[in-house]
Amino acid sequence: MAEPMIEVEGLTKRFGTFTAVDHVSFSVGKGSIFGFLGPNGSGKTTMIRMLCGILEPSDGTARIGGHDIVRDLEPIKELIGYMSQKFSLYDELTVNENLIFAGKLYGLSGHELNERRDEMIATTHLEPYINRRASQLSGGWRQRLAMACSLMHRPSVLFLDEPTAGIDPVARRELWDLLFAFAGKGMTLFVTTHYMDEAERCDHVGYIYMSKLIVCGEPDELKRLPDVNPPGTRRLDVTCDHVTTALHAMHEMPGVRSATVFGQSMHLLVDENVKRAHIDEQLHKVGVSHAEIHEIGPSLEDVFVELSAKHAAERQEAA
Amino acid sequence: MKHKPFRGLGAILFKEFIVVWRDPLTLFFFFFPPLIEMVAFGYALDNDVKHMAMLVFNEDRTVESRQLIDRFVNTESFRVVGEVQSLEQLKSEMRKGRAYAALDIPPNFTRELMAGHSAQVQLLVDGSNSTTALQALQTGLGVALTQSLESLLRETGRQGMPVDVRPQMLYNPAMRAPNFFVPGVIGVVLQIGTTVAAAMALVRERERGTLEQLLVSPLSRAGLMLGKLVPYLCIGMAMALVLFTIMRFVFFVPIVGNVFSMMFCTLVYVFALLSLGLLVGTMAENQMQALQMSMVFLLPSVFFSGFIFPRETMPWIFYALGALFPTTYFIALMRAIILRGANFFEYWHNLVVLILMSNLLFFLCALRFRRKIA
Repeated sequence: MAEPMIEVEGLTKRFGTFTAVDHVSFSVGKGSIFGFLGPNGSGKTTMIRMLCGILEPSDGTARIGGHDIVRDLEPIKELIGYMSQKFSLYDELTVNENLIFAGKLYGLSGHELNERRDEMIATTHLEPYINRRASQLSGGWRQRLAMACSLMHRPSVLFLDEPTAGIDPVARRELWDLLFAFAGKGMTLFVTTHYMDEAERCDHVGYIYMSKLIVCGEPDELKRLPDVNPPGTRRLDVTCDHVTTALHAMHEMPGVRSATVFGQSMHLLVDENVKRAHIDEQLHKVGVSHAEIHEIGPSLEDVFVELSAKHAAERQEAA
Repeated sequence: MKHKPFRGLGAILFKEFIVVWRDPLTLFFFFFPPLIEMVAFGYALDNDVKHMAMLVFNEDRTVESRQLIDRFVNTESFRVVGEVQSLEQLKSEMRKGRAYAALDIPPNFTRELMAGHSAQVQLLVDGSNSTTALQALQTGLGVALTQSLESLLRETGRQGMPVDVRPQMLYNPAMRAPNFFVPGVIGVVLQIGTTVAAAMALVRERERGTLEQLLVSPLSRAGLMLGKLVPYLCIGMAMALVLFTIMRFVFFVPIVGNVFSMMFCTLVYVFALLSLGLLVGTMAENQMQALQMSMVFLLPSVFFSGFIFPRETMPWIFYALGALFPTTYFIALMRAIILRGANFFEYWHNLVVLILMSNLLFFLCALRFRRKIA
């Protein structure tokens, strides 16, 4: 890994008796894209807010660019940009004024401010809307403007909290193209999301579940984890009609460890001795006549489903 | 890195002035209700009771009895709205609320008077409104006393009263109610718009999530708070100018003291109110809460600030409560400067309290701002 830009050690946040983030540790290399994943309410936003200095941690430490987030917050503020879930903009201000405001906030002025604004407008293709009020922009353009605002001061680290929630697929794709371009220029990106296709694009992903970080690493690394690929098993993709009926049948079939629907198909984790013929036979019994079966590797979603199930089971045992 | 206490102030001012300017609804609610209240309060709050409706039941029907009625009318406190023919009718009309007072002159009034006995008349007063009742009572007793004294003086042949009090009314010689009330009305009316506007300005940022964005930036606390305060301070002072103009040229309240000191005190007062509003803004979750919390401060201040009722006559607890509101000191200052023409050395203690209050409120806000955003 390149030199670390974000280092988190045992970071914890408690709200009363509830622990939102429980002793989380990881580090993010300079210039990489770190995807922070987890279900709603698992502690993603709390983590981002602590790293941005909005919330004070209850325990543990974190450093950004070598500065401690509690004791040495001021220099961090110059280093980071933050784009919240809500694409927080001033509706009464035009696109141009929102950008100018964001620049002034970081002490830019005069020629430099105007230059930076023009650069941001060019990068995000906001030219046609310069004089439009932010309130009159559609979701995708609001998001672009919010991003342009958070980039006005050229941060070294950009935190994005679910940047693509509620955005159409084309805008989503374009945003990621932009993120890759920034990462290419050496900016470190910390992105929370629950889109798996976005997670696949990240250099590193961390998965937080019930306040604990249960896994962290490169996507390919995670897919090879023994917990995800237990010895003596293989993973199959089954494409057939009546997926829900088929799923039910698979759940009851001996030797099938797990079965999950993925769109028009299912992913099965089965014992090695389960043959394709067995599956065909079982499906015939419930009236599913035609099925295409082939072996696959685990997707990131498989990884997280397996690990969450395992983690939940361990918790239950402990309790 | 050097610590700049007002870092980001320029950015917030730039944004806040545009936002205020482009939001005509807020401006409207800032200006319109206070103007209406000012005019309404200014005209309605008048404890000069004049020309109260009075009924007459004259059973005597002589020149003397009619002279007595004239004496009542000549005080300008009463006007005769009708004559009744029986005691029953008199009481029924009073119950209907047709008159605040009724004068019952018995048939033997003139006879007793001439005979040198005590001639009795009855004055019935509707006690359900204490202000008019008090005035009716005092005027009634006054009329009787004057007439009695006059006849006694005639009998003794003495010239003039044994004791002659010559009252001289200072500062408000005509005893005009607007002179007393309108400076207070300005204090009360100013606080509504300013406090609520400042609270809303902050809560709106929180609701929209832009506050988070500001907290992530290197903006300083003082920069943020002053940036929020200054635009509303400008509006508040413009508002105050309008209100003082109305006071001077619509209600004809003369400004005896120094206009600049008056405006300076107003500046300190508005600053205190805005700080109070921001403080409310740091505590309220949403705009509804902000409004309700502001009202918690605003309503009692109307009663306990000495705006209508003199504070000195209140039970000690309410007197003490009144001391907590900036409005109390502002009203005292305005009455001192506008009506009595007081100079700095005569009103400084009120101003000092107001300055301390505004600084304390601003300081409390800054403390509350320490990452209290979760």
